Amino acid sequence: MSKFYDVIIAGGGVIGASCAYQLSKRKHLKVALIDAKRPGNATRASAGGLWAIGESVGLGCGVIFFRMMSANRKREAAGSAVVVDSSTPHILPQSFFDFALQSNALYPQLHRELKGLHGMDFKFEETGLKFVIYDDEDRLYAEHIVGCIPHLADQVRWLDQAALRAAEPNVSLEAQGALEFLCDHQVNPFRLADAYTEGARQNGVDLYFNTNVTGVLHQGTRVRGVRTDEAGVFNCDTLINATGAWAAELSRMATGLSIPVNPVKGQILLTERMPKLLNGCLTTSDCYMAQKDNGEILIGSTTEDKGFDVSTTYPEINGLVQGAVRCIPELAQVNLKRCWAGLRPGSPDELPILGPMAGVQGYLNACGHFRTGILTSAITGVLLDKLVNDEPLPLDITPFLADRFALQPEVQPEPALA
Amino acid sequence: MSLCPVIVGGGPAGMAAAIELAEHGVRSILIDEASRLGGVVYRGPLRDGVQLDYLGPRYCEVLARLHGDFARQAPLIEVRLNSRVIGAEATRSLMVLDADEQLYEQAYPQLLLAAGCHERSVPFPGWTLPGVMLLGGLQLQIKSGVVKPQGPVVIAGTGPLLPLVACQLHAAGVAVAGVYEASAFGKIAKQSLALLNKPQLFLDGLSMLAYLKLHRISLRYGWGVVEARGEGGVSSVQVAPYSADWQPDLARAEEVAAQTLAVGYGFIPRTQLSQQMGLEHGFSDDGYLRATADIWQQSSEQHIHLAGDMGGIRGGEAAMLAGRIAAVSILVQRDVLGTEAALQRRQALLNKLAAILRFRAAVDRYTERGSGQTSLPAADTVICRCEHTTRGDIDLALSQGVQDMASLKMRTRVSMGDCQGRMCVGYCSDRLRQATGRQDVGWLRPRFPLDPIPFSAFSQPGKDASTHE
Repeated sequence: MSKFYDVIIAGGGVIGASCAYQLSKRKHLKVALIDAKRPGNATRASAGGLWAIGESVGLGCGVIFFRMMSANRKREAAGSAVVVDSSTPHILPQSFFDFALQSNALYPQLHRELKGLHGMDFKFEETGLKFVIYDDEDRLYAEHIVGCIPHLADQVRWLDQAALRAAEPNVSLEAQGALEFLCDHQVNPFRLADAYTEGARQNGVDLYFNTNVTGVLHQGTRVRGVRTDEAGVFNCDTLINATGAWAAELSRMATGLSIPVNPVKGQILLTERMPKLLNGCLTTSDCYMAQKDNGEILIGSTTEDKGFDVSTTYPEINGLVQGAVRCIPELAQVNLKRCWAGLRPGSPDELPILGPMAGVQGYLNACGHFRTGILTSAITGVLLDKLVNDEPLPLDITPFLADRFALQPEVQPEPALA
Repeated sequence: MSLCPVIVGGGPAGMAAAIELAEHGVRSILIDEASRLGGVVYRGPLRDGVQLDYLGPRYCEVLARLHGDFARQAPLIEVRLNSRVIGAEATRSLMVLDADEQLYEQAYPQLLLAAGCHERSVPFPGWTLPGVMLLGGLQLQIKSGVVKPQGPVVIAGTGPLLPLVACQLHAAGVAVAGVYEASAFGKIAKQSLALLNKPQLFLDGLSMLAYLKLHRISLRYGWGVVEARGEGGVSSVQVAPYSADWQPDLARAEEVAAQTLAVGYGFIPRTQLSQQMGLEHGFSDDGYLRATADIWQQSSEQHIHLAGDMGGIRGGEAAMLAGRIAAVSILVQRDVLGTEAALQRRQALLNKLAAILRFRAAVDRYTERGSGQTSLPAADTVICRCEHTTRGDIDLALSQGVQDMASLKMRTRVSMGDCQGRMCVGYCSDRLRQATGRQDVGWLRPRFPLDPIPFSAFSQPGKDASTHE
């Protein structure tokens, strides 16, 4: 028994679910969402920060990532003329700012919509994000960031020590001040994915959970459907690849080309429920912290190249613990409740991989969202919906096309359907 | 080899293993979370000098023998009490929180996991009221010699622990209002022959029944709990006849006045640590997960052994035998025992184990869990006590198409609390199985730390924390 859908979305994380939700509003389309949860899927592991500017300028888990990269490069470059300094922030290109900020702007309305129409509350909270400054190196880093984003001056605020303590009384006295990004907020990440999914289901999308895509069907250069272990064959006009850290595997099956998406491991800590210790989200050069609506505080995160391994490891957890206690000394008295690890779908230039690929029809990428899948899920859903329906896009997709990479065919696409 | 083998759990399995190792001259480290050894079965009184006559002479004799044997080997056993194993670094070392709430890493060349079991929680309206207890926990109170539950006590559940605790309570001077065994009498009678594999236990059972009769304590077969009622605490318990699959017949429900309700619908292996280590697990017949072990009590990792209820519920006596078999395997791995001697020793232990296993199988057959109990909770009955998730929340999630444990967790927050689902995972997986018709609905991956630990337990880099080495 084979099924037909106009659109099949492979991957039910926050990206696939957002695509499903946006497409579900088109009553003429028959849509299926196919998902097999694998250990380490990033949506469930995420902290849920909507740090549009923060992440674009390399804060949040970016700063930790950059510090690590910079330390590695320093080690590798020892003796060479290249000096990589951690005081130089890691600023993403303008195209990413536009992408992230447009997505960020969608959340207030999306929150009302999913709650009002579908009864799903993803706990959108306006928190701001403060980069806590301990020393001169941090200050230089912050000044450099501000210098790079003159067009966002109205979204940035400097806090001196007194102002920081007024805003966040529990921050360590060691902190000299902070740089705050006013438009950076937070959500509950898995509730966001659940809200998109349930909205899509209520609008008529068929959900196939615990279903593994094992092959892709072709007709000439056109993708025609997928095979699954659990639910048989699905035929479709368009296949959307939203399989997160596993996206390279599906792209190989669909196009014969392996898009450069690799798992980037991140470990995260969660405290027990606390009265309000933090008024907003914080990032330091050691870690970031976000107190969620139920009082738990999330502390993230490492950036590790360990393949698909999702174990938690003591030295890394200890590093985050020390970073958190340094910033909020009160935490020493608090219980650590749980740790886990997730796999960010990393791309080499840290930009997502979206849209069609040359030479293949009926296939669209929605992957490679690296650290910012929660934040950029909203705009990704909107973009993919418009691509499927052949409508004008709200922003230029060129910088995000897979064709920006020189992809070499690894294997031939599977033979055409007999 | 410089490092000692490490044993997690100082109950009968862990103690017996440490004794066996010491009898062969091998030192070991024994870690237990309690302040005394013995586990829940053989911990003995919390205070010295307390007489536990009401627990019966045979129990007191085994208790004394185990602790006596252990005391004789004490010089070769390093006991670390009040120490909780809260995680594992792969299959090389354990993370332990010591009595001073400091975290340290304990490496091991060979490991025995003997973490025991915990009780199965069965949610029903009123199950979170003060005065509702799990049966094993209530028995621990009597065994502690320090506290007694408030009578009258209603006991509802299944298995041989029910009449035993009823007799112990009565002997300790606590009024027992009634005992309600979910299994029908015919089902138990059918196992009589198999239960005779342990004639002494069978006789004990009969004499317990006679004791209850003599003291006019009613024991009703095929009856179970429906609801606990009261303002701020239990004042009465609703019980009703159970069908073969434990569906209560509410039309015939009765109300029994009680200050305490003890609920004992069985035990579940404690697998949080073995799961975190990534050892192989399987499902037992009643749908619960347990780590798999071979005839040497070896897990899927050769150097990691399992013994006691952690690998399947068999009770204290079997735990001691399995603990010794694991110790023999460790002795072989350390080149202390030759293969021939080890095989002989193992066979002697297996011979003793065989009768217990036949007896346990008979108990398992008559205490087999009925699925009808999942109908007990009302829409507003709390299922996950940590996150206050109700049955209604779970019903809604199932109606929205949730099909596996992890998705149910994300949708309703069940198991996201401090206990990581130890209490609610049974009910939730039963409901998922009923809703999907699938046996495998996934399981929750236990996370580090297995119990919450203070941030101050972590050592700052530079500060030396290796005082345990």
